[in-house]
Amino acid sequence: MTKKDKSEKAIVLLKDVRESMKAERILKTEKYDVKVVAPPPEVRIGCDLAIEISLVDGFGVENLLKSNGINPINVVPLSNLQLKPLEIIKEVDFGDYVMVKAGHMKLTYEKQSGEIVNVSGGGCPDIPFLALSMVGKTVTDTKRPDELGYTLCAFMLEKAYERALQNYRKKQP
Amino acid sequence: MIVVVGTIPIKDMPLTTDFCEYSHEKLKGGNLDLPLINGTSALVATAAAACNALELPKPYAVLAGDIGTGEGSNLIYRFLRESFKPTSEKTVITMHYIKPNVLYARDAVKALKKRANTTLIADAGSMYVAKAAGLAKDFDLFTPDSGEMAFLADPEAMHPAYVRSFIFDAVNDVPALIQQAYQNGNAAKALLVKGVTDYIVDEGKIVAEVSEPCIPALEAVGGTGDTLVGIVSALIDSGYSITNAATIAAKANRLMGTLAKPNPATKVWEMIRFIPEALRKAEETLASE
Repeated sequence: MTKKDKSEKAIVLLKDVRESMKAERILKTEKYDVKVVAPPPEVRIGCDLAIEISLVDGFGVENLLKSNGINPINVVPLSNLQLKPLEIIKEVDFGDYVMVKAGHMKLTYEKQSGEIVNVSGGGCPDIPFLALSMVGKTVTDTKRPDELGYTLCAFMLEKAYERALQNYRKKQP
Repeated sequence: MIVVVGTIPIKDMPLTTDFCEYSHEKLKGGNLDLPLINGTSALVATAAAACNALELPKPYAVLAGDIGTGEGSNLIYRFLRESFKPTSEKTVITMHYIKPNVLYARDAVKALKKRANTTLIADAGSMYVAKAAGLAKDFDLFTPDSGEMAFLADPEAMHPAYVRSFIFDAVNDVPALIQQAYQNGNAAKALLVKGVTDYIVDEGKIVAEVSEPCIPALEAVGGTGDTLVGIVSALIDSGYSITNAATIAAKANRLMGTLAKPNPATKVWEMIRFIPEALRKAEETLASE
């Protein structure tokens, strides 16, 4: 990213990862050009996420989020190099099952029925909760990790889930 | 004495400290029935099964309910910082699913390090926060998988979700990742790296590798990393050195897979009953090599 690019960007700081996941979805639905990034080092606690936006969109983004019940803590200009979450997604075919891996998170579903049979990887406390909530349900019927989760592990599981859902829908007649 | 520290996915479950028991595929912490699911429940159940097989006392657990908000994790951090006083002199403390908070973790680990005769193990969220807070060297053992090994190798990442792509791309070159993690001071004294090949590492040097039997479906089964940590904790408590315990545990976890014959839909709690036999076979196999 060039210096000029940085000066044109801002980041939206939110209460927690869950709000960041919701905010990303709302902003993308409204066609804002956004990406999720790490918050600045001085405010990081180890499991947090922020949204990078165009600086000029700051006011509109803040209003849109507020109208959806999300109150950003702050919108600040981007001044240093940002880390962003991994976007590497891989699939492992086990015959009747497919395991989708997004970074360190894995979701396995049965090809025929779409049933989620296992959730593995991760280390944040909502992952066992998500496993309890999602395993046994189909990819089309389950609540999504971004509706139930609060952490970066849930954020990565959402990426794996999204791919599993796309794959399953593609295979349907 | 083993002390397992972690969260359980029950909203509003208070801080609970008690000995745990696993029998007839039921897990109890004191009088409380605990759900059998991947995460700290699977670790506690495995530690209980392994302790029973090795004729050790039941594992003690420090648990709190947390579905991701961090409330239960914060109760645990506070308890470790202010009130934790294990009854046994020699303690293996295994820290597990806790929401990372670098400020709270520093105080909690500082309090734990004041105790002599303590072996400190971290896996899952506790390992993430130990690395992010610069506390890795305070731990005796980390148990990452290969993706988490990339996280330990990346000095910039404060969570596995933020590993830079060029480091994650090297996820199959585990020895190189191990070297990088030690160079940057982001590894515990010993590592047990789970993967196609399990690597046992002592102060940066790979001292053993375990790759047989190979059960590919185990990667899909949520909780098989937790069973491994439960087994290694019990073996260390029984008197094995950390690296010998890690080698036997790696073998035993694979043998548990052989005995359970899993497919990608198998659940971890269907496999825990095979742990006593897997442990016995692993000890015999490695003793004869």
